[in-house]
Amino acid sequence: MPIDCEDQELLEGFLAETTELLEKLDDDLIALEKASDDPELMNRIFRSIHTVKGASSFLGFDLLVRVTHKTEDVLNRLRKGELQLTSEIMDVVLEATDLVKTLVADIKGGEIVDREINETINKLIPLLTEQPAAPAQPAAETPPPAAAEDAPASAETAAPQPEQKPAQEPPPAAAMPPAAPRPAPEAAKKPAPPKGGEKGGGDDLSDNTTVRVDVKRLDDLMNQVGELVLERNRMIQLNQDLQGGTSDHILFSEEFGKLAKRMSFVTSELQMQVLKMRMIPVEKVFKKFPRIVRSLARDLGKEVDLQIFGEETELDRSVVDEIGDPLIHLIRNAMDHGLETPDDRIAAGKQRTGTLILAAIHEGNSIIISIKDDGRGIDTDRVGRKAIEKGLITEDQLAAMSQREMFDLIFLPGFSTKDQASDLSGRGVGMDVVKTNIKKLNGLIEIKSEKGMGSEFILRLPLTLAIIQSLLVEVEGEIYSIPLASVLETLRVDQREFHVIGGQEVLKLRDMVLPLVRLEQVFNVKRCHEQDNFCYIVVIGSADKRVGLVVTRLVGQQEVAIKSLGKYLANVTGIAGSTILGDGRVALIVDPVGMVDGGEGTSGAR
Amino acid sequence: MSNALVPMNSNEARTGDHGELIQLVSFSLDNEEYGVDVLKVREIIRMPSITRVPNTPHYVEGVINLRGKVIPIINMRRRFGLCELEYDKQTRIMVMDVEGELMGFIVDAVSEVIRISSSEIQPSPAVVTSGIDQECIAGVINQAERLLVLLDLQKMFSQDERQLFGNL
Repeated sequence: MPIDCEDQELLEGFLAETTELLEKLDDDLIALEKASDDPELMNRIFRSIHTVKGASSFLGFDLLVRVTHKTEDVLNRLRKGELQLTSEIMDVVLEATDLVKTLVADIKGGEIVDREINETINKLIPLLTEQPAAPAQPAAETPPPAAAEDAPASAETAAPQPEQKPAQEPPPAAAMPPAAPRPAPEAAKKPAPPKGGEKGGGDDLSDNTTVRVDVKRLDDLMNQVGELVLERNRMIQLNQDLQGGTSDHILFSEEFGKLAKRMSFVTSELQMQVLKMRMIPVEKVFKKFPRIVRSLARDLGKEVDLQIFGEETELDRSVVDEIGDPLIHLIRNAMDHGLETPDDRIAAGKQRTGTLILAAIHEGNSIIISIKDDGRGIDTDRVGRKAIEKGLITEDQLAAMSQREMFDLIFLPGFSTKDQASDLSGRGVGMDVVKTNIKKLNGLIEIKSEKGMGSEFILRLPLTLAIIQSLLVEVEGEIYSIPLASVLETLRVDQREFHVIGGQEVLKLRDMVLPLVRLEQVFNVKRCHEQDNFCYIVVIGSADKRVGLVVTRLVGQQEVAIKSLGKYLANVTGIAGSTILGDGRVALIVDPVGMVDGGEGTSGAR
Repeated sequence: MSNALVPMNSNEARTGDHGELIQLVSFSLDNEEYGVDVLKVREIIRMPSITRVPNTPHYVEGVINLRGKVIPIINMRRRFGLCELEYDKQTRIMVMDVEGELMGFIVDAVSEVIRISSSEIQPSPAVVTSGIDQECIAGVINQAERLLVLLDLQKMFSQDERQLFGNL
């Protein structure tokens, strides 16, 4: 049934508002479980659901009204203290919230699907038993649903909705008033909504096509554009003076120098401002995690205290959209493999409740997100054994591995320490997803882990993907740009210090052996300079590996706008894109990921 | 992926006997004259400074900055396996629309825009001696004093892409 709504604007407003409310609601509900006596929180939740109900009844979304109405009733009783909040009640309320999300997603999709909502409603009803008016309502409002058959057809969008089980299908609504309290408690005892549900609703609802911008930011932007206009006028004036002979070259160059400085100041401010508008707080991703952690903890029988820090940290929308999945996988991983069960924890002399810390912080031009648990840590011996068992590496390879490399094994596709794949983990896909997504964003992953003490995954991500800080280097007369986010350090060394191991040039750098890649070889640059003993090394890291790039000269640091090379040259090895330099020439951007992965082999073979 | 990039193309349709008037840009390459559909040509520019792109087929000369857009440049002599020539005052880059993307082609010289009737286009002879891939030749125009080879660059690039992605 298509949506019959005369006022499209009204509908859009409703969707935007409801989406926002629902996102907040999840968070508040989880918080409520911890602090059930917080009246302010309780009232806020009540208000949210009430607003959704009011708006949907105004717009005539019946299904939505019915679910929200019942949820509101339950919440009302909780608020009045007639009902004590238990985790069973919370499960039902959360399930109802999920259902609301699904229904809103339907509306957003432009098609109202006739969904089976009675199962959830029936779980809510027993919570209202002492209220005389409540049981009568479903009979009055609820026509017998013809929806059970329709529901599976839209199953893919209906992740949060529990599977329909005919056996548990409650009796038709007409027979309900007297019977309601009885069949429903059984339903309420059913396990929490299926996992995976946490993900579905929230993601579908988040809207990325429109941006809400703080009016102040917009005003600032306008001011800066005004300044830019003034500078442009100044430039035209200077040019006229020079042409008209009222100014000589010396004066002109002096004035023009000043102008260039001011222009550069204004444009970089402007750039920052526009960039800021694209920024959204990482909270948008973080706020769905308490819910996920809660249901995972219940499924796994673990007790977890999730602490979130720095959710106000802002980063580019494009990055925010991409980090959700990797973070979910990392959290699952920490909950499943990292944290122990309460009994194990006590046996290990730790507190019963495990701690999971999710933190975000700015550092220069990147954002750092860390997922830290105080669980059992990564057992490198076990990881190594498993990797051999699964045929991912050989014994010899393992013997030569450093601890860092052993940690990296967990990112291999197909790697899992589980013998049996469960719903939650064991297929060896999750960490591979993490790695691929982080790579796509030009990010780095670092693992810190101590056996028995816990582990920490540190993601370092660029703030934005459109404009990057880059290091310009010269390779035998050609200029290349290396994303600064991947550059760890640069050094000037004597080529005689290089060692060769199995045809691969390496450099001893403090306590590590750094494989070297000669850019002139990888890029087949014609040698045009005299052979010089001294050269520069740019140490780059991608995800978890380090490589040193040998270049002729460092040119400097510059902020560059990324230009795509187009479809035809999209897959050039070692090149991520291009940019235009101040003099109008094109400089290619080195792909650090490609260098680190492919580079070793290439230069080793030559 | 490359299979999807082989559309039915307009020049082919015109090889039929419709007698419809079409305009071609003619350019020269190693003393032969070639023509391409004028609607595919965006602009013709002189040689700017070209940035080499490593690890690409030898006929990819590099990329240039075309008013803020980075576009790839193909050396037609190398593409067709002809001997190389120093760039001179006549050398031009023809910027063309190939499957929705801009690409530049280095040619010896661009001469003129000519109008011909599509009935004048003959299918290319079975044996082509110059070494140009037969596939991208849409036909031959045999007018009184001149012979013009009609090129279909769309075809050339769907094939190229296959090669490029196959090799790397």
